[in-house]
Amino acid sequence: MIRLEKVTVAYGEQVVLDGIDLEVPTGKTMVILGESGSGKTTILKCVLGTLHPVSGRVLANDLEVGKLTDEELLRFRRRMGMVFQEGALFDSMTVGENVAFWLWEHTTLSDDKVEERVRMLLQFVGLESSIDQMPSDLSGGMRRRVAIARAMAAEDPAFMLYDEPTTGLDPFTSKSICDLMRRVQREFKSTNIVVTHDLTDAYRVGDLFTFIKDAKVIATGTRQEIEHSSDPFIRTFISLDS
Amino acid sequence: MPVRRALLFLAGVLMSVQDFTMMIVRSFRYLIFHFRMRESLFEMDRLGVGSIPIVFLANLFAGLDMALQFSVVMAPYGASNLLGRVVATSIIRDMGPVLASLVMSARVTAGITSELGMMATTQQIEALLVMGVDPVDRLIAPKILAGMVMLPALSVVGDLLGVLAGLMVAQLGAHVPAPLYWSGVRSALTLPNLVNGMLKPFVFGFILVAVGCFYGLRTTGGAQGVGRATTKAVVSAAIWILIANFMISKFLIDVWGWKL
Repeated sequence: MIRLEKVTVAYGEQVVLDGIDLEVPTGKTMVILGESGSGKTTILKCVLGTLHPVSGRVLANDLEVGKLTDEELLRFRRRMGMVFQEGALFDSMTVGENVAFWLWEHTTLSDDKVEERVRMLLQFVGLESSIDQMPSDLSGGMRRRVAIARAMAAEDPAFMLYDEPTTGLDPFTSKSICDLMRRVQREFKSTNIVVTHDLTDAYRVGDLFTFIKDAKVIATGTRQEIEHSSDPFIRTFISLDS
Repeated sequence: MPVRRALLFLAGVLMSVQDFTMMIVRSFRYLIFHFRMRESLFEMDRLGVGSIPIVFLANLFAGLDMALQFSVVMAPYGASNLLGRVVATSIIRDMGPVLASLVMSARVTAGITSELGMMATTQQIEALLVMGVDPVDRLIAPKILAGMVMLPALSVVGDLLGVLAGLMVAQLGAHVPAPLYWSGVRSALTLPNLVNGMLKPFVFGFILVAVGCFYGLRTTGGAQGVGRATTKAVVSAAIWILIANFMISKFLIDVWGWKL
């Protein structure tokens, strides 16, 4: 379970998150929707502990992220998978090396075992044949797939975070990425947060939905609850998307 | 308003000093307690071996030029027999390490800053953190070690090349016999000179890598930001190398007095 309690984040005098509360039940996928620059990605940074709130607290499985030391944070993140907007693959490494990186860093597996697991993960995302390719040789969709495989390398990731995983992709690739995210969630039963501004993709992957506007949470609920919301911003958001 | 701006500026400077200090302390902690042999050897090869041609070229021409200039100045006083000693002393104590560092800062500091800068702006540094790996451990500490090991090594060979280049000018231009030149070089190989010649590149190697890493990790603002950070890093490294050069010279002269 991930819980944010009265979290406020500010860059100088600009308040990005204003006392927000959010709860993602274990094994569920929460999609955070809102305009660009509304503070969606900031929520992910708070959960990861790369950004500390001015006030409030972030809990991940009852562990208060803000109270962890640097070493504890590094250990905590080992059970977390994060897929960045553009993939953030290490461009000096091959696809295989990117996926193997976590295993090299945190396990004592032999090279053969690492390769076996890397091939299995790449097969899962449908890219086994690209194992020796460099990230610069891949399309946007392929990079996101590799990023998902890399995020899954952590054995049994408890949390998966996705930052705009389908932005800039064509509708077919977007759908395949969403299907993949669903498969990952079924496989690991992880607790997921997905940040996006695409409602179609949000419906494909989400169990719960949260709308953010002007640094505040304006609504949280299931698809039905969101669709029946009377909030003018949500109504406009839904109508523009459809 | 100006007071507030000055205070904000001061706070920014203090924060930068704190961040730099923390980065260095953590680097040394990782080098001691979590040493990465593979990455360190890789960086030594990349930073050090890759810089051999430019360092050698710089020292070669420095040796040639210094021997030429000194022979012109010393000949009227009949002091050409001291040419070997003067050339070797200047190269070992000052010119060798400073020149090698300045040339390397253009290559190494710029390379490190742009590499880390690109990683920072494309979220690769953040990806490392998220994967439970401290970028200081994986990226910075091996580079700092490589700088501190490889620059002294390159300096020693570069010094030798500079002295050999000086011999060429001494023989062909100033007509100083080779044995006389070499006996002057031998007399320059004193403890103060050798300590000078080894301590300086050790410190300069640290500076040019640490400055590059510091600016690289703090890069923001896409390709333009990378360019800005790289320029700042190269200029800062060069200035700090010159400041450190003076301070080490002064310190060692205070320790040993005016001995050569």
